[in-house]
Amino acid sequence: MTDALRLPYVAVPDAVEPVISMVDVGMTYPNGKVALVDVNVSIPEGDFVFLVGPSGAGKSTFIRLLIREQLPTSGRVVVAGRDLSTMRRSQVPSLRRRIGIVFQDFRLLPAKTVYENVAFALEVTGATSAEIRKRVPRLLNLVGLHEHDEHLPAQLSGGEQQRTAIARALVHDPAMLIADEPTGNLDPVTSWDLIQLLIQINAMGTTVLMATHNQEIVNAMRRRVLALEHGTLVRDESGAAYEREY
Amino acid sequence: MRLLRFIAFSVVRAWQGFWRNAMMSLAATSTVVLMLVLLSGLLIVLAGLDSGLHYIESKVGVTARLRDNLPQDQLDTLLADIRVLPGVKKADYIPPEEALNRLKQFYREQGQTLDLGGAPISLYASIEILLTDPTFADSVQTALGERPEVERITTRQVDYQKLLSIIGYVRTVGIIALGLVGLTVLFMIVNMIRIAVYSRSGEIEIMRLVGASDSFIRWPFILEGILCGVIGAVVTIILVAVAWEPIKPIMVRVFQMPTAVSTEFLAVLSAVILGVGLGVGALGSWISVRANLSSAA
Repeated sequence: MTDALRLPYVAVPDAVEPVISMVDVGMTYPNGKVALVDVNVSIPEGDFVFLVGPSGAGKSTFIRLLIREQLPTSGRVVVAGRDLSTMRRSQVPSLRRRIGIVFQDFRLLPAKTVYENVAFALEVTGATSAEIRKRVPRLLNLVGLHEHDEHLPAQLSGGEQQRTAIARALVHDPAMLIADEPTGNLDPVTSWDLIQLLIQINAMGTTVLMATHNQEIVNAMRRRVLALEHGTLVRDESGAAYEREY
Repeated sequence: MRLLRFIAFSVVRAWQGFWRNAMMSLAATSTVVLMLVLLSGLLIVLAGLDSGLHYIESKVGVTARLRDNLPQDQLDTLLADIRVLPGVKKADYIPPEEALNRLKQFYREQGQTLDLGGAPISLYASIEILLTDPTFADSVQTALGERPEVERITTRQVDYQKLLSIIGYVRTVGIIALGLVGLTVLFMIVNMIRIAVYSRSGEIEIMRLVGASDSFIRWPFILEGILCGVIGAVVTIILVAVAWEPIKPIMVRVFQMPTAVSTEFLAVLSAVILGVGLGVGALGSWISVRANLSSAA
């Protein structure tokens, strides 16, 4: 990657404590495939950031590094004040409770109801029944699914399934919500409904990082954009569009 | 409280998991039962043989049949000489009348009557020598062979050696058979858990993403294997308990030792069955969980 492609960056002020910090991060898979090259990113708490780029640009690797599903081959990744490279395996669960994540394919448990899908995330982390009874209805209320709590995923629309996934991602009050192509399986109207929900969650103080191919949404939102190409961060711009405008 | 919630969660999930793949679970449990039934059979037979061995050890080591009408002073001298021989624990004079009584008693225990058609029965007088260790049988036999008062010497050394070799053979064959069945059981449980892990890979992935600790992810699978072993053990204990009454007389008849089939033995056997079932279940699931769940962070 040439310097011409990598520049210019538009500096984003780091006045607020970064919830994500990547310093000279590189990632090369054992098969030799280079996924990320010298990525430097700092995302302050409360930010709303789009991660864009063509397929194979390194977006998924970027996300996998943040949730410590993989470790970088070079550089440092710091999330919520914790250096993931030096983090012990036993500390990973507590990190993941600080990060909510949703995917394009929702990843709901088909045999569990909406309520049970959300409750499951609390149950498997040792929450009490009282905590579950208190938190789950509140979250279903937030995502607008309180009247569908007894429905199975198959009985819901795509948008409702994604809202269920968002409710599940928020059960531990995470500092950050990562959404990996959350509108990929949704129609435009439903996609906008979902974006409204993400904006609402962001307004409540949760940092949102959304990987997307949806140009319309990115262009309309005018938020910070991180653009990856061939593993290199080619743009880090606030108030930006999906594609370079200069 | 958190620990209790964890235990409750793991047990419930293990129970659900066991029945979710019911066919595989029941197949694995059946092999556990097969192995434990084999183990029980082997232990019962070995206990009978061991008991027989102890019986022989505790009974007469060497019997010296005496010449007829041996004067009392010669008998006393002989007894005194025998009692000072190395390896002799006890030497008792058995007069012909007592030998006859014993013979009648033996027949009675077998449910028969000693009947020689009214002919008088006369048995030899003898000295029964109890040894501190059956290995002294040869030296005692040699010493007695030089005494004119002794007409014939019999020893159960041959029986003892024969029984020892039978026990060794049974133990070896039994251990090999158990080892093979044990490996099959392990293989079944490892596979059962592997299938369970794959069938619940979606759940496991979600658990990891929402921050479930390794214990919450792994222990339900380990408990599922333990459950398989424990259910297999309970079924085996029930089978052994049901078969116990029919087995008892067979044991007495074959081994002639009622002590081999005591209720205490049944209790110990049940504890061993439960322990082995639990251990095999835990080992199999632990191996499988290590192999199938360790790679992911």
